[in-house]
Amino acid sequence: MNFLKLVQGVVGEENATSDRAICASYSRDQHWHFVPAKNPAFVVRPGDKEEVREVLVLANREKVPVVPYSTGINVRGLAIPVHEGSVLLDLSRMNRILEVNPEMKTATVEPGVTFGMLLEETRKHKLRPAFPDAPLTVSVLVNYYLRGIYQTSAADGHDHTLSYEMILPNGETLKTGSRSLSEMPYFRYGVGPDFTGVFSAHPGTCGVVTELTAKLYRLYDNRKVYFVGFDEVGAATKVIYNLMNDELAASIRLVDNQSWLKGICGTFDFPYEELPKFVLCVLVEGVDGIFEAKAKLVQEYLADSADSADSADSGGTGGRVLEFPAEFARTFEEESLGGAEKSCMVFGLQGRGNYHCIGLYGPLTLAAEYYALHEKTALEVGIPQDHVHFYIDPIYSFHGQLCYFELDVFYDGSEPGAGEKLRNYNAKQFQRLLDLGIYGWFRPYAGIIEPTVERIGHLAEVWKKFLRVLDPNEIMNRGKLL
Amino acid sequence: MGQEREEILSAIQHCVKCKLCSIANFHPAEEWQPLCPSGEFYGYQAFYAPGKLEIFREILEGGLTESSEGLLKSVYACTLCGACYEKCRQVTSVEMRLPELFEELRGELVRKGWSLSVHREIAEKIKETRNAYGERQKYRDGAKSTNENAEVLYFIGCTARYRVPEIADAMLEIFDKLGIKYQVLGEEWCCGSVLLRTGQVEAAKELVAHNSEVIKNSGAKTVVFTCPGCLNTFKKNYPELGVELVHSTQFLAGLGEGEGGSDGDESSGGGLEVKKLGMAVAYHDPCHLGRDLGIYEEPRAVLKEVAGEKVKEMKREREQAWCCGSGGGVKSAFDEFALWCAGERVKEARAAGAEALVSACPFCKRNLKEAAEREAEEREETEKEGEEKEGKGMKIYDVVELVSKGLEGRRK
Repeated sequence: MNFLKLVQGVVGEENATSDRAICASYSRDQHWHFVPAKNPAFVVRPGDKEEVREVLVLANREKVPVVPYSTGINVRGLAIPVHEGSVLLDLSRMNRILEVNPEMKTATVEPGVTFGMLLEETRKHKLRPAFPDAPLTVSVLVNYYLRGIYQTSAADGHDHTLSYEMILPNGETLKTGSRSLSEMPYFRYGVGPDFTGVFSAHPGTCGVVTELTAKLYRLYDNRKVYFVGFDEVGAATKVIYNLMNDELAASIRLVDNQSWLKGICGTFDFPYEELPKFVLCVLVEGVDGIFEAKAKLVQEYLADSADSADSADSGGTGGRVLEFPAEFARTFEEESLGGAEKSCMVFGLQGRGNYHCIGLYGPLTLAAEYYALHEKTALEVGIPQDHVHFYIDPIYSFHGQLCYFELDVFYDGSEPGAGEKLRNYNAKQFQRLLDLGIYGWFRPYAGIIEPTVERIGHLAEVWKKFLRVLDPNEIMNRGKLL
Repeated sequence: MGQEREEILSAIQHCVKCKLCSIANFHPAEEWQPLCPSGEFYGYQAFYAPGKLEIFREILEGGLTESSEGLLKSVYACTLCGACYEKCRQVTSVEMRLPELFEELRGELVRKGWSLSVHREIAEKIKETRNAYGERQKYRDGAKSTNENAEVLYFIGCTARYRVPEIADAMLEIFDKLGIKYQVLGEEWCCGSVLLRTGQVEAAKELVAHNSEVIKNSGAKTVVFTCPGCLNTFKKNYPELGVELVHSTQFLAGLGEGEGGSDGDESSGGGLEVKKLGMAVAYHDPCHLGRDLGIYEEPRAVLKEVAGEKVKEMKREREQAWCCGSGGGVKSAFDEFALWCAGERVKEARAAGAEALVSACPFCKRNLKEAAEREAEEREETEKEGEEKEGKGMKIYDVVELVSKGLEGRRK
């Protein structure tokens, strides 16, 4: 019996196909300049974890490569098959919110649950998930499992994942954290090493995660937003440091005035070019009493910064508090504490329609250098200055001055040569960033593994051996790690 | 190919696959509401706009060289409702023109000989009978011009002629009650919408030429349509006819213009003397009327004249209205899917507190009515004896039916 018939026997005829057109619809994502189109041989849509298990066991037995896929959004090549004859495991049917536990401040979800779906439920309890800088149509489970660090609200910190359940190619189930010991999946560190962390950040390469428990965070009624303009990155970092050091703000984002600021404000129709080049967006929230105290301190920091801008010996490095229409503040609140929707307007910046980024973690101390390097490399490869953009999200509790940096290029993907320029940019930039020093990449972008693995010594060999233990037939989506 | 290959590929490259096009605005209500009927029903990526674009690319680049069940279903089980396009445009300001791209895709399939037999059969019926349903009888003997030289011409359309005649009846009754002289065409042929929307572009040419000719010769100055599909086709695919093309709701709303309407608004509907119905109604935006032609206010204005303050807004409305499921050749080819879409809309109307769901399109009415009847039957079967009934099935109307019921004449 052929593989298709076998899996149709598990998931039903309507949920497994080898139809070329259906398969072609999964062949490419927004990273197509880097990861060329490739069709899976089969698309299978299991409805629950038992079906996942049976499909994995069959694939393992028949040595069919497996590419897990949740909602297929913002995947940047990770769910495009590498091997011929792959089965794409579309998990979007598994979209149940298994639990929202307001007492524990946790949610347990299946892979097809999106941030929008989850917030709709959690907000009933005045709770929210930590949001990625990705459309709210993306999968909660996969985004947390991808890296688990999200920062649209700096105060959420990192490590939003508590525990999960993963099915291995041989059909065995691994449960991480306290989930392995009890029915309480609410603690990350159960027995032995931090397996929750060990299996994360190389998504789809070990097995298939079928449910995940994540932290939820308070939604506060008291909120206040500030926008502060700076002419250069370095000056803004001083204010960011102060706000982070005293843990005053929920969201702190430094954006340039020609890209993400437009998304944060929710409109293209504003004279952004008249603003300082960088704008720090700050959101303060909290319960009565604490909120007012935080807001007062934030205002004082911002006023000090503005004073220094006015003083003759400051060199003009201070900030300028900006007065924006009230709806800009509302949009910023919605987008940073309720999921990215309107801010995705940046995809259409100047009608170009395409967006490339390198996301990385590093210290705030290197912010100005990351930005300078971004501009330098982009211009060297022929990317116009007005396509080059940047933002910083600092992350509590700020040990190591941890920040997420995004080096962005908004471009027209249909322009001849656009792809080549971006590939040249990436090749140079990966090396240069590694030379300058970073904490880590946000995700395994195409072309990032090779220069990175060279530098991690014996860890690379241990990593590969680790994967072989879990997946001896190498059916999971290893990509360049093979 | 209507659009050049490179132009189409360029448009396809601009989709970043965020799939925000598949949900209605999340903020500020923070409710997850699907917007893409096809994707929601079938699930595979191929049924969402980003997936369909990849299929089109694969065809243009020569990767798909033969037809398949999945190809035909993913391409044709789409109502071309345009909700994806509107949402994408709203978020990114990028003009993807998705429904036009999907029509191009269908045209490409037809040129390759990859079309659905049911759509080919419709083309055959039109060829034989000049209407999309293959009907040989005329629509009601009463549908005769009151004046062969009248300035107003009512283009009835196939669906109101042969499947939902109560809409045509109502429109004619309104003309009569208002004392408006009108013409109807003795030789009205199908407008060609169903052919054009299903990629059978060549077959539509003869219809366009015929209808253009007879309308030009009619001497009419205004052509009134109760079918937004016909109106959209006339506006989009017909040559300039030198006549005003208006939807019934625009025509009725316009009667208040300059005639001392209730509030002097151009689209007030205030020129009508209408008895209020006393029934809570929700208005369903037909895709061709709303998203294609941008006509949102006039139907609401006219409906308000009939229902007063009892007009309920559903959660998904205007640019983000949930499609009834009938358009784009879906009703004829994928009726189960079409009825599911309509059923979802009926539920939404009920949740909004409406007793009746009112549209302004014969396709919408037909499909919504079937879904409402099916839902009522199912509920009747499942409700056990002695249990309290949830209420009667949702009533489905066209705006002109309600106007004709309550119309007492022109406001003095």
